[in-house]
Amino acid sequence: MNWLKLSLAGWRLRPLRTGVTAAGVGLAVAAWFSLLSFQAGYRDGMKNELARLGAHILVVPKGCPYDAASIALHGASWPCYLPAAYLDEVCAAPGVTTAAPAFMTALHEGTSTNTVYVGVDKKFLRLRPAWQIRGRFPQATNELLLGSEAATRWRWQVGQTVPLPGLTNATGLVSGILGPTHGAEDDFIYLRLADAQHLFAHPRQLTHILVRLADPNALDRAVTHLRGCDAGMDMNIVPLAHLFHTIQSLVNSTRLLLGCVAAVALLVAAAGVGNTILMAVAERTREIGLMRALGASRADIFRLFWWETMQVCLVGGVGGLAFAFLASRVLENWLRARLPFAPVDALIRWEWWAAAAGLAGAALVGSIAGFLPAWRAARLSPVLAMRSTGGDA
Amino acid sequence: MTTSPQENTPVIAAQALTKIYQRGREQVRALDAVSFTVARGEFTAITGPSGAGKSTLLNLLGCMDAPTSGTLRLDDREVHSLDERARTELRRSTVGFVFQHFGLLPTLTVAENVVLPALFARRSSARRAEMLLEKVGLLHRRTHRPHELSGGEMQRVAIARALINEPRLLLADEPTGNLDSATGDSIISLFQQLNAEGLTVLVVTHNAVMTAAARRQLALRDGRLTDGK
Repeated sequence: MNWLKLSLAGWRLRPLRTGVTAAGVGLAVAAWFSLLSFQAGYRDGMKNELARLGAHILVVPKGCPYDAASIALHGASWPCYLPAAYLDEVCAAPGVTTAAPAFMTALHEGTSTNTVYVGVDKKFLRLRPAWQIRGRFPQATNELLLGSEAATRWRWQVGQTVPLPGLTNATGLVSGILGPTHGAEDDFIYLRLADAQHLFAHPRQLTHILVRLADPNALDRAVTHLRGCDAGMDMNIVPLAHLFHTIQSLVNSTRLLLGCVAAVALLVAAAGVGNTILMAVAERTREIGLMRALGASRADIFRLFWWETMQVCLVGGVGGLAFAFLASRVLENWLRARLPFAPVDALIRWEWWAAAAGLAGAALVGSIAGFLPAWRAARLSPVLAMRSTGGDA
Repeated sequence: MTTSPQENTPVIAAQALTKIYQRGREQVRALDAVSFTVARGEFTAITGPSGAGKSTLLNLLGCMDAPTSGTLRLDDREVHSLDERARTELRRSTVGFVFQHFGLLPTLTVAENVVLPALFARRSSARRAEMLLEKVGLLHRRTHRPHELSGGEMQRVAIARALINEPRLLLADEPTGNLDSATGDSIISLFQQLNAEGLTVLVVTHNAVMTAAARRQLALRDGRLTDGK
């Protein structure tokens, strides 16, 4: 017999009520965990995706820079184009070590999937030093480099001549297959820039230019120069670090709202727990008097009911974390369908610190909610408590 | 054989013990200048009609409440001037309680009920609990819960529980009040046995057999001791 066992015994008196109370705490903790995990997952996912671009600046046609960034990251058809001649002005900007032109488009294939084609030249490889290519980068006309998932989906091999998905009477030779990058690129089909411009009937046009600087600290100078050059009026110069901060602050403003909802859920759970334990104290008044007669001090009674509260909250918290983990896939799919810039990496994943924060929240709820009932129980006069009709003892 | 000074002092020494309750504007004198002593090893029965002050006296003797005036010494320690915390400490180390309605916690097993006061006293108690359950003939029931026991068995468990912290004084409030006469007699025998082993026993009772079994009787009426021998 120990204190833990004694406080657990209280559960057996009203298991359903205790279970419902713990479930309330669990839902609040699940909301907290999901929110914290989403915030971390989104931030890291965005950071990884922007890092995978390997560039400091994205040069795109005039229009919404966030749409353009999303298209460049995830692959889609572009609504407008840049003249290829602008590439020279970008290359001439101070501090630019690499300016990799790209032509991207997406073709519908069947009803739901898109095939993303990206035309690039060899400078693109300087932005992707970690790429592992089985075979070689496209060098001759109609050569293709397949993303790892694209190659798996169509079961194509290096050296195979294949029909180009979404196009009629067009074929290409698979010159290489890319190792997994764990990004959207795994689904892309790369080809020579000139081939892509010709194939999709946009000669001497680009969709975007990826720019890498020798010194990332010189970003502002390069951006100022690019915006001030002759072509600057027709281009959007998107510093990716700024883009990251802007998107993150948008998400943070949503997080504040969701955080308020989660905080309200925690407060409601705390009220439920407090009410349950207050009822337990009222029902077990005689038991409290009995324990006082048997030598329990006020501190013992306080501890007993406080521990009971903590147990309800911690069990609810653990259950809530398990629920959040199991439901994370469903929630992620729901969120992904509604977020404009959802990274391909997992948005909600198991984060130990978020789980610890969820449990700490549950413990905080228990501490606060349990204090008043435990204090009331401890203050009961043993004589009056023994005369009470409350309880089975 | 010599006896130590502590062994010569009474377990209970009450002098002009008075307890007044405030009920609205009215003052109720539940105990009125009650004086008596109980020597170590005595078996005392307190009798009296309802409202005579028996339970109030038991609460004071069990350090559950403080007197309005008068002095009370328990096991040679002053009780009347102690604060709540010190009274709790004295109660847990000196007094064992047995109640008319047994007072077993329904969610605990027999063995867990018995060790409960030891938990409050921070004592290790498993071996002593087994010994006491064997003494009251219920070792085989140690894993049962109270609802699986008869009334007599429940009271035996309550007696084992009252003895777990090796009290100097066993206080019992109508311990046979909820039992049939045959079962009540077995509980009375158990009290006699414990008293014969040297335990001081004070019982509030209406049971004539219990009263007769006690070596000393005190009668309370309207908060005053009216008869005693």
